Amino acid sequence: MSAEDKENIEVWEDLVHIKDLVISLAICSVTSLGGYLIAPEGQQPLIYGLIGAVLGFITSTIVIKPKRNFSYTDEE
Amino acid sequence: MDVVLIGQMAAIALLGAALYTIIGIAPGTDETAVLAPVTLVLVISGLEPILVLTFFIAAIVAKKLTDSIPVAVAGIPGGVMSAPMVEHAMVLKKYGKPDVSIRKMASGSVIGTIISVPLSLLLATALVPLADVIEQYSSQIFFFGAIFLALMTKNRWFAVLSIVPFAFVIQGLRNLYWELDIVPEDTTVFTSFFLGITIGPVILKLFELLNGRVRRNLPRYGTKTIEMRRTKAEKGFPNPFKILNKNETISSAVSSVLGVLTFFMSPVGMTIFLGEMITSRIKDPVKRAARAISSMDGLTNAAYLSGTLVPLIAIGYPLSPTALGPGHALFNAPPVYTYEHNLHHILSMNDFVMATVIGAVIAIGLTFFITIKYAQPICAFVFKYIPHEAMLGLFFGLVMMLAYMDAGVLNIAGVLVIGLVAGFMHRKGVNYGVQFMTLYAAPWLVGLIF
Repeated sequence: MSAEDKENIEVWEDLVHIKDLVISLAICSVTSLGGYLIAPEGQQPLIYGLIGAVLGFITSTIVIKPKRNFSYTDEE
Repeated sequence: MDVVLIGQMAAIALLGAALYTIIGIAPGTDETAVLAPVTLVLVISGLEPILVLTFFIAAIVAKKLTDSIPVAVAGIPGGVMSAPMVEHAMVLKKYGKPDVSIRKMASGSVIGTIISVPLSLLLATALVPLADVIEQYSSQIFFFGAIFLALMTKNRWFAVLSIVPFAFVIQGLRNLYWELDIVPEDTTVFTSFFLGITIGPVILKLFELLNGRVRRNLPRYGTKTIEMRRTKAEKGFPNPFKILNKNETISSAVSSVLGVLTFFMSPVGMTIFLGEMITSRIKDPVKRAARAISSMDGLTNAAYLSGTLVPLIAIGYPLSPTALGPGHALFNAPPVYTYEHNLHHILSMNDFVMATVIGAVIAIGLTFFITIKYAQPICAFVFKYIPHEAMLGLFFGLVMMLAYMDAGVLNIAGVLVIGLVAGFMHRKGVNYGVQFMTLYAAPWLVGLIF
């Protein structure tokens, strides 16, 4: 990773990329609020909102790559 | 108590333990931010009270067990509570023993749980006679609690002076909603304000990113490099009393008792204090670190359980940092729970004992086993596949939805206002405790002035 690739910032103790963060916030807000709003009459809208939130989380996990470089070391 | 209910309790404890085993590992997951919203949602969805408590106990025990994993392997605190342990865990990591760290911390946690459950129940029973007095003066207690906590912070005069204005912001929004007929006069918007305070620091940071100059001046990083040394898998079911030596077991036990007795104090503060007390005596760095982390983990676990159980059983008001933070939905989650009608009033002593024991036993059984055996692969999975952006997105989405649920579109703006103010205060050193106490005392405080 070269110097000009350094474009991540720290939010809440871990690194994020601003564009990815905006995407994730947008996805999750839309799915959570959307789920809440499309809940059929007479049903618990909260449950739909929660399902929306989880779907948003899963979608963001698929769309966005973590900004961590993980490896095992095998010395010794 | 019938078999079906016990089955349901076991099932929800498993769910809570499994969920928070994973969440605990994710770096930077503040206990309040991850536990309060989920508990709240369970309460509002109408889940039986005893099941809510079982879930909460299982979740908190599991979270406290696993949040030590990222500390041990990567030096990243898994939550606010594990931050004081980083220093000692790094010593063990330096000597190539992150797996020792994990085992010692998890075993300390188990001892903390075993000690704090019966002790908290006893302490709660002893405090019951005081409940009536406390109930009568709860607003005043919250107000003076806010002042007391404010005086304990580093930036104390800023914190003290911020209490009244913050109460005005809160009551101002509530009055606006009543005026505009968004919510009925007898409904006090609470939940979404609470969450606004919780994610305030993140909201402030996000708003700052909108400012181009601030954005360009932020420190930039590449990717975070995390390396783990492969360790061999454990055989058989781990025994915490074998993992810890005699001295470590004793000091974990003593710290756990201390954690229970100081349930009303800040667990982070107590942990730092204890860590310094223990480490000053032992010379050998590895032994010192092992003793420190096992005892600290015992204390945090005990403090968390007693901080939830003692106020819940004895008083019915959230008079401890844990009850005010992560456990808050058990006390007040309108319209389901209020201070006049919450777990304290609904559950019998028997219910409390059953829920706590089932929750704790299942969480220890599942999470302790997994932590000791599969710490490495779980860490690798979270670090590799779960982006931090998705976690932030999830919490942000939840807060938006709950804001809308409380008082419609306007409240999304309202919660952002609360978040911005709270985030600013947080950055200036006014901690969650002061802000939450202010939120509770706000109606009384503003009513007092006018």
